[in-house]
Amino acid sequence: MLKKYLKYLLPILVPLLILLLPASSFGIAGMTLIEQRVIAIFVMATLCWILEPIPIYATSVLIIVLELLLVSDKGLWFTKLAPPEELGNIINHQTIMGTFASPIIMLFLGGFFLAMAATKYRLDVNLARVLLKPFGQDPKFVMLGLMMITAIFSMFMSNTATTAMMLSILTPVLALFAKKDLGRVAFALSVPVAANIGGIGTPIGTPPNAVALKYLVNENSISFGSWMAFGVPFVVVMLFIAWLLLTTLFPASIKEINLNIKGRFLKTPKAVIVYVTFVTTILLWLMGDLHGMNSYVVALIPVAVFSVFKIITKEDLKKISWDVLWLVSGGIALGVALDKSGLAANAIAAIPFADFHPLLLIVGASVLCLLMANFMSHTATANLLLPLVAALGASMQSLLPYGGEVVLILAVTFAASLGMSLPISTPPNALAYASGHIESKQMAKIGVILGIIGVLLSYAMLYILKQISFIG
Amino acid sequence: MDKINIICVDDEREVLESVSRDLEYFSDMFNIEECESAFECLQLLDELDAQQEYVAVIISDHVMPEKSGVELLTEVALDNRFLGTKKLLLTGLATQADTIKAINNAKLDNFLEKVWDPQELLQTVKELLTEFIVEKGLDYEDYIEKLDAPTLYRLIKA
Amino acid sequence: MTKIYLRYSLPVLLPLIILLLPSNSFGIEGLTFVEQRVIAIFVMAALCWVLEPIPIYATSVLIIVFELLLISDNGLWFATNSQAELQGQLLAQSTIMATFASPIIMLFLGGFFLAMAATKYRLDVNLARVLLRPFGHSPKYVMLGIMMITAVFSMFMSNTATTAMMLSILTPVLALFPKEDLGKVAFALSVPVAANIGGIATPIGTPPNAVALKYLVDEYSVSFAQWMAIGVPFVVVMLLIAWLLLNYLFPAARKEIILDIEGKFLKTPKAFLVYGTFVATILLWLLGGVHGMSSYVVAMIPVAVFSTFNIISKEDLKNISWDVLWLVSGGIALGVALDKSGLAANAVNAIPFDSFHPLLLIIGASMLCLLMANFMSNTATANLLLPLVAALGASMHSLIPYGGHVVLILAVTFSASLGMSLPVSTPPNALAYASGYIKNTQMLKVGAIIGCIGLLITFSMLFLLNQLGLVGV
Repeated sequence: MLKKYLKYLLPILVPLLILLLPASSFGIAGMTLIEQRVIAIFVMATLCWILEPIPIYATSVLIIVLELLLVSDKGLWFTKLAPPEELGNIINHQTIMGTFASPIIMLFLGGFFLAMAATKYRLDVNLARVLLKPFGQDPKFVMLGLMMITAIFSMFMSNTATTAMMLSILTPVLALFAKKDLGRVAFALSVPVAANIGGIGTPIGTPPNAVALKYLVNENSISFGSWMAFGVPFVVVMLFIAWLLLTTLFPASIKEINLNIKGRFLKTPKAVIVYVTFVTTILLWLMGDLHGMNSYVVALIPVAVFSVFKIITKEDLKKISWDVLWLVSGGIALGVALDKSGLAANAIAAIPFADFHPLLLIVGASVLCLLMANFMSHTATANLLLPLVAALGASMQSLLPYGGEVVLILAVTFAASLGMSLPISTPPNALAYASGHIESKQMAKIGVILGIIGVLLSYAMLYILKQISFIG
Repeated sequence: MDKINIICVDDEREVLESVSRDLEYFSDMFNIEECESAFECLQLLDELDAQQEYVAVIISDHVMPEKSGVELLTEVALDNRFLGTKKLLLTGLATQADTIKAINNAKLDNFLEKVWDPQELLQTVKELLTEFIVEKGLDYEDYIEKLDAPTLYRLIKA
Repeated sequence: MTKIYLRYSLPVLLPLIILLLPSNSFGIEGLTFVEQRVIAIFVMAALCWVLEPIPIYATSVLIIVFELLLISDNGLWFATNSQAELQGQLLAQSTIMATFASPIIMLFLGGFFLAMAATKYRLDVNLARVLLRPFGHSPKYVMLGIMMITAVFSMFMSNTATTAMMLSILTPVLALFPKEDLGKVAFALSVPVAANIGGIATPIGTPPNAVALKYLVDEYSVSFAQWMAIGVPFVVVMLLIAWLLLNYLFPAARKEIILDIEGKFLKTPKAFLVYGTFVATILLWLLGGVHGMSSYVVAMIPVAVFSTFNIISKEDLKNISWDVLWLVSGGIALGVALDKSGLAANAVNAIPFDSFHPLLLIIGASMLCLLMANFMSNTATANLLLPLVAALGASMHSLIPYGGHVVLILAVTFSASLGMSLPVSTPPNALAYASGYIKNTQMLKVGAIIGCIGLLITFSMLFLLNQLGLVGV
């Protein structure tokens, strides 16, 4: 009973307490009123995202509105009354509101348009049919095909939508498995696993990557093509490991699998425009350096083309997952507040991080992230950890020999997508669990093993990238 | 403007033409198709889908050789490609059992008895068309002169 | 046939020609490449909004994308690598993209949230029922009641949604009128007229007002309350005139009208939260000067409250008219491009506007706007004219005795909402026309008269406010 109330009470009481405490209780010298309020907002966000008393995108909206009310130049009048040294850095309200349309959000919007058109014009189902054919009928290889296709799709479509589509293709087939056949478990698990892993491959594959992009700017910036250059190999290796793991732990007794996917590629003019735009956009993303347009601008091309040719209509606009976009906006706004108020820099300066070994930091941060990501939304986890980690990375000189800020950010970002041991870890997990073919402990076993291997693999990858001077 | 089809299905040629004539009012904005069997209709649906055209209303007779109207409409009801399509059964020979199946399985929208009143048919199709267009989110302003205003007012939210 | 091809080919060919012409063909000295491209984009937008070969919000998306490709600092490589003096002023990519989330858009978003919650929790229907009761059963007064309620609602909800709701209440009653009774025409017309007029009263009442807000900034800024102080009296006067006009032209023969609206006010906790938030937000908007929060920030409060308490769910988010928001964004982006490229200032300098009498300018611009708004989307009209008019107003000193920049902008903005003589003029007009109770000639007569009277009243009102020192420097 109490637990239920705690869910609603804590996110209100603790931030209020923080607001009422005297400025000196925080152990940071010269803390301003604004910084104190940012801490309160951050704590509220954390509690709301962990306990989920309200929808996670609503937390993002709250972050933005509270920032506007308490730390912006257009906030409540009594919030601006103190003298400037005590008050601190007021943040421009347009900067805060602008997070709703930050270039990163535009990038995601472009991705959504591509995904929506792909589904509406059945590109996804038809591609799946064609790509699965060469894998034959041997369960082991069909699963490999399934995983590879799920991973590729989830690089461009939402992990959840991809999982839903693949599971709906699988369901009639899974019904044919014998009750005791462990192959059912393997197949049902293969989809969310592949979707979660696949999302790591591109900046638009999953929202945590978008949040990371905010901090990978200027000398640390990573283009779409560069991300894929290390993301895709990572995905390939992880996928392979996952496949081996699944087939070893849950071997299929059934000898043959026939996935019968109906349909034909559409050939209408609009469908052709969709195919061409898809290919063009991806090519433009990959060849970013050649043409000078950055990925964000390229992302708006499908938005324009599809709107003009009514491939995505006014009605379709409504089907966009605006809540996901707002969820990411909130994270960006949190980062903006932490940065522009000066809190991030001051907090880091106050805590003697320089004493810690940088490797400990990288490992610690990514493990913490992995842990959190298993229990709460990946995006919310990234929203909370990345601003802190980025501020840390920027000031810790001892990180430089290991690759600096970039390595820290990437390690944490990858870890955010590797939390998949519980049904609540990610929507794909929940969807697969709902099929009834998987037991909790089976999901937990796979999720934990893959999570740990994944994080270790990401360290190895980052080490190699540092050695060949690709990053850092 | 998107292409929107109204399909009429009846095995008797004269009835089919009569229905078509009664729907003459819609022919300058919508495509009226005639099918003489359930199979012809299903084939037409496949073709229309390949062209990505909309099917707003299917008006079908019930007693037909090989496949009945209720069976046809039930198949359409389960077809993901035509989820919003409105279904009208126009028949004189349906038993109560058939009617129950039509409503429960085929998710029928309207039922008209032969011999039908042309005005009633027109009004029913008008309302069904309006519902289809608003539910699909198509631009009702393009077709507004052929739509049923009260239904439009009731359904528009924005 | 040619007409159809023109519709698609003109918006493509004309801008292309503009891009290919040498810079000195425009009669503006020292025209940079960026400015030339802005002209091309503007012409494309104008043709697309007038001819409508593509959905009007798609034109907005095109504006933004072309700006990003051709005049931003992250555009196509061949667009960004000429010499600086020839090239001109490139715009920052983030500035262009930010138009999707300009504070004005946020203001509208807040309005959408309020409207959605009002409809979902039946506040609108219940309020209509309660507010109509005092008007009795005499057709004349019932119509007045309907017009007033429609106007008030359309100040906060979309004109189209308000019209649909009121018409669905009216239609069963109108069906009972005898065929020749002119009262039907009056009633069916009263709703779109009231909705179109009512939208003028608040900044969120209709998108053209939002576009205007972009140019009413800094020393010209008009707060939410100030706008209402000007808009509401205007609406009241216009409504009365429209009511008298409709009664005079189309008197009802029937003696009695009974509108039966079913329903009860919801009393669940969430419903109360909706009522409370509604009142609080409107009060905060009206008292902007007192508490220091800008209207844009206040607009975010219903967004936060309704999202937090699941009054507006993830699913409801999808029902927001994102296309209207994007339509306004495009207009803002157009204005940003005209301004920051320097084109607006240069073009205004090149044309000897100073020789024109400022009054002629105000009247001419408003009439042009009224004319255009009768034939195309009000928002698109505002998107095209306001940036030009704003640039003009900012530099024409001869306007100042008449109220300056602000008067010019308000006059044009009000005119944009007064175009209602054809079914195509506004969605409310189209909806009412679909009822079959109105003839083209009747709508034309009423729309034209109201448009002209509206203009006259706008001018007189702005003149009065200027004399009182309330508007203009």
